[in-house]
Amino acid sequence: MIDDVRTTVLAVLNKNNYGYLSPMDFNLYAKQAQLEIFENLFYQYNTQINSENARRSGTDYADISKGILEDIDLFSESSTLTSNYGTHVLPNNYYYINRITISINNINVEVERVSQGKITALEISPLTAPSDEFPVYTQDGGVIKITPNSGQATARYIRYPSTPKWTYTAVGSNVPIFNPSAGDYEDFELPLSYQNELVNKILKYAGVEIRETMVVDFANKQEQQNNIEQQ
Amino acid sequence: MAYISQYEYYENNGSNPEDKNWGSYQYVSLKDIVTNFMLMYQGNHSLVNNEERYKIIFHAKRAIQELNYDAFKEIKALEISLPDTVRYVLPSDYVNWVRVSMFENGVLFPLTENIQATTAQAYLKDNSGALLFDENGEVLNPEFSDFDLARIKGTKKSIYLNESSPFNGNEGYCCDGAWYFDYAIGARYGLNTETANANPTFRIDSKAGVINFDSTMAGRSVILEYVSDGMEGGNNSLITVNKLFEEYVYAYIQYAILNSKLGVQEYIVSRARKQKSALLRNAKIRISNIHPGRLLMNLRGQSKWIK
Repeated sequence: MIDDVRTTVLAVLNKNNYGYLSPMDFNLYAKQAQLEIFENLFYQYNTQINSENARRSGTDYADISKGILEDIDLFSESSTLTSNYGTHVLPNNYYYINRITISINNINVEVERVSQGKITALEISPLTAPSDEFPVYTQDGGVIKITPNSGQATARYIRYPSTPKWTYTAVGSNVPIFNPSAGDYEDFELPLSYQNELVNKILKYAGVEIRETMVVDFANKQEQQNNIEQQ
Repeated sequence: MAYISQYEYYENNGSNPEDKNWGSYQYVSLKDIVTNFMLMYQGNHSLVNNEERYKIIFHAKRAIQELNYDAFKEIKALEISLPDTVRYVLPSDYVNWVRVSMFENGVLFPLTENIQATTAQAYLKDNSGALLFDENGEVLNPEFSDFDLARIKGTKKSIYLNESSPFNGNEGYCCDGAWYFDYAIGARYGLNTETANANPTFRIDSKAGVINFDSTMAGRSVILEYVSDGMEGGNNSLITVNKLFEEYVYAYIQYAILNSKLGVQEYIVSRARKQKSALLRNAKIRISNIHPGRLLMNLRGQSKWIK
């Protein structure tokens, strides 16, 4: 998809000889655009849930939240956490921890996240003290501390999308030719349905770069149109 | 708890203890209650949303505690032979007593709670009558007050008509060679029924965590029937609730959360409260086990002649 996006972006930019976007700049904007859309998925999901609760949503193909959930779950991963002096190290690329589980007697038990402000009171209270049946964890930076710490921890989490990279080979005239076989090639991870959004966002950044307000206006208008359609 | 095989139920898969799963099908575990609630009653489209699991656990346990106090018919019993101090230390999971009985000669005698004080603290004094204090400024106490010692040694008299009664041992009158009424001579009108019991008495000192008996109980066997709060000494894996009360526990948790949450409309709270109360009533009726056969046994007495 990344080559299609780049081709479209260049086509729009070149329409009136507005300018040219180098592969390096394209890759920068591509990363930025994908991250922006990725983060917006979570807000969209929340908005959609609120719509459903207000009975402003349908089922089947009108079930928008299902689609968003599926898109988010594309980034869902599971990883066994490495233990380090009674703590467990979270993966570097996590965006949102879905759940932490520990294995006790071959049974996976879900560990609940509690805030640092609550953990002391929680441990003191006889009714809520963490136990093997109901363990809890607190987070300090990239590590978590599970109480009681009695098993191998696994994290199910949403990771950040990988950085997209349009790779190329330069031929004699220095015109870059798309090379998907390069070792560091990385396509967009968002589904094809987000291609328009990606093009618009990259165009917006490119328009700012080449100081062409028409391009920025065009991209903004397209984005607004998308937002209206999604509501 | 997942369904188990017949072999696991009857013989615990050949492991010890064999009786581990006997009767377990009547109960649902705390873990299942919490998991089911999180799945079915909490979520994006539910009344309860964004609540921490520990709050669900707390309210589930509170519901189980309340049920243990009066709705469940799960009375625990503990037998202890009383030492010379005639003091029965309350069980570690004791919350309230149901009945205290003396087990003697194969018969269970229900005992009466003494309406008078049976124990008192005392302060140590020097020869001049001044109080004695320790290095922290706290007044010193003897192990037993004179009052306690009198009860333990049997010199304290009782207002009950038992062996410690002040009238016990008094001369009566002889009729046809037999002595009757070893109490004070003369007609005794106006019997105080509250204290008209010949068995030994007891009184529970809740703060001290003991039951104090009169001296005649030394060496005798006592059965304490009591209720606990179902918390199983803090072992979450053992906490269970009868399935008849399962729906009530969910309703209780939902009500407790909605009731304490900001911005929940009063009609929703009220609906949750009514649902909780109705389910408790239903469950209590169910667990009462009002069987026609049992009623029939009682009704058979309706044609009995009253003399």
